[in-house]
Amino acid sequence: MYVAIKLNKEKCIGCKMCIFVCPEANVIAFCPKSKKVDVNEARCKGCGLCVVACPKDALTLDNN
Amino acid sequence: MTKNILKMSPAFADIIPAEYRELVDNGPYGRDVGVAELGTFKELLEEHPLCAGCGLALALRIFLASLPAPEDTIVVGSTGCSSLVFPQAAVQNIHSLFGNQNSVASGLKRALKLRFPDKDKDVIVVAGDGATADIGLDMVMHSWFRRENITTIMLDNEAYANTGGQESGMSQQGTVLYMAPKGKNFPKISMPELAREAGCVYVAVGTPAQPRKLEKMIKRAILLARHIGPTYVQIMTPCPTNYKFKNNETVNRLKGLEKDGVFKPREYITAEAQEALNKLEEVSK
Repeated sequence: MYVAIKLNKEKCIGCKMCIFVCPEANVIAFCPKSKKVDVNEARCKGCGLCVVACPKDALTLDNN
Repeated sequence: MTKNILKMSPAFADIIPAEYRELVDNGPYGRDVGVAELGTFKELLEEHPLCAGCGLALALRIFLASLPAPEDTIVVGSTGCSSLVFPQAAVQNIHSLFGNQNSVASGLKRALKLRFPDKDKDVIVVAGDGATADIGLDMVMHSWFRRENITTIMLDNEAYANTGGQESGMSQQGTVLYMAPKGKNFPKISMPELAREAGCVYVAVGTPAQPRKLEKMIKRAILLARHIGPTYVQIMTPCPTNYKFKNNETVNRLKGLEKDGVFKPREYITAEAQEALNKLEEVSK
């Protein structure tokens, strides 16, 4: 089973809280143009720290 | 090392790994980026083998983002979870014998001072609590007594997490771990106070739950070590694997420990270092 986070772009407000709690490097990138984050699911280990930190519930843990 | 050394030959551009190409195009070398800009540049760290939800990995990620000059930095590490990250990080690294990290760093700093007298080369020791407070305590203390210009950073996960969970000197009294079933008998060593008495000009205890505050502490420690004397930063990094809490609770656990008074972030600075720091911070403004 591979676990990774899934982002709901409509809910994201670009506060970057998820970036500051992620222990993996380069998983969540911030796009300055759209003021939202992008997720690289291949690098995610699925710890769920960002899911807890997100104030808008835009991130969910997904079992693929 | 400057960014030029990193640059690849155009003939080989198509066979260079994507991560490396990203680092050349969008890396932090020679740019003024810090923790606040995380997510907009390619970080020095790449996929590492530490556990999911590891507090130590989070601390190291913030540490690598807050280096004032990553191209002129040499990290001296020691055996433990902290050393597993550096084969995947784009900074120069020396892996020393267990406990010898501060002796290696002392010699290295002296050699670099002779070789590059007009350039600041930062030598930073990054080791776990076992290497700093237990096995390498005499080497660490003596590097402070000798007033070596090095920064010592301890990643305190309160156990020997790499070898199955033995108690370390930094574990809290009564802690029960996989390899310490009866609970620890004596209280946690107060390393920051030891460092202050041993001659460190700047001592800080931080947490990755407050990344910008931690960045400030690390930057101050590195800048003061360049000019004044030894500095020490202790970072609390909970271990979900050995302390048996869920992966997604690392940051909440840090906040909880701080709220309960078990863990206190604090800073000590000497008058001389404070004066130098005021000057440095005025210049950077």
